[in-house]
Amino acid sequence: MIKDKEAESDDRVFKRDLLASLPNLRAFAVSLTGRHDKADDLVQDTIMKAWANQKSFTPGTNMRAWLFTILRNEFYSQMRKRGREVQDSDGLFSERFSVHPEQYGRLDLEDFRKALDKLPDDQREAIVLVGAAGFAYEEAAEICGCAVGTIKSRVSRARTRLQELLGVSGEGDYGPDAGDAAITSRAFGS
Amino acid sequence: MSDDIRKKDEMTSVQTHQARPGSTSPNASISRKLRDFYDAVQEEGIPDRFLDLLERLDEAEKNAALTKQVEAK
Repeated sequence: MIKDKEAESDDRVFKRDLLASLPNLRAFAVSLTGRHDKADDLVQDTIMKAWANQKSFTPGTNMRAWLFTILRNEFYSQMRKRGREVQDSDGLFSERFSVHPEQYGRLDLEDFRKALDKLPDDQREAIVLVGAAGFAYEEAAEICGCAVGTIKSRVSRARTRLQELLGVSGEGDYGPDAGDAAITSRAFGS
Repeated sequence: MSDDIRKKDEMTSVQTHQARPGSTSPNASISRKLRDFYDAVQEEGIPDRFLDLLERLDEAEKNAALTKQVEAK
């Protein structure tokens, strides 16, 4: 009887933690696939897999890393089967952002998505895991099944490539202070 | 401005060697764009289809457990 109760509360904790991880997991899926519809299919498959394998999850360990690992494996196994589909989703992505269009600027986000999409898969996942999803290099390395040094160099290459793709020169074309910074830089720089 | 400084601090552990003096680090700019992109998706919340799915999985599991209990008796 006591055992049943414990199992029940573990179940509830599992579901609660799964739910709490979903927005982050979904953002990772969108980053990997570049599309919301594909991403949501991927998240759905991940939830089913996670649910079916919840006995293999050790309560108290990092559920987010566990879920990201499942999603990543699912993504690559689906890609191997189907191949990465050619992007035909211009505008599809930005339409989804109806929340704060004036604040974020849909075009900026769309441009960024396109640039992210041009990165090799291994660089894309590395920079997203470390730079946005909130994982340490060590955790990202574990999720991707590679060495920490490999993750570091992938992140570094991804940054360089994104700078090239987005034409970020260092004057910072972003945010209210950027203009001032650029002027200051021109006035006192080189 | 303090926001920029904070972002730069976060960047320090990643890499700063490409930053030029007197300019916003290109890395900081990329990091910010990446986070804005990612956060925008996160802020969409959890689509109903996933909440429904979890409900259904929950139900299925309870029913299975119930069946087992009945069989055990």
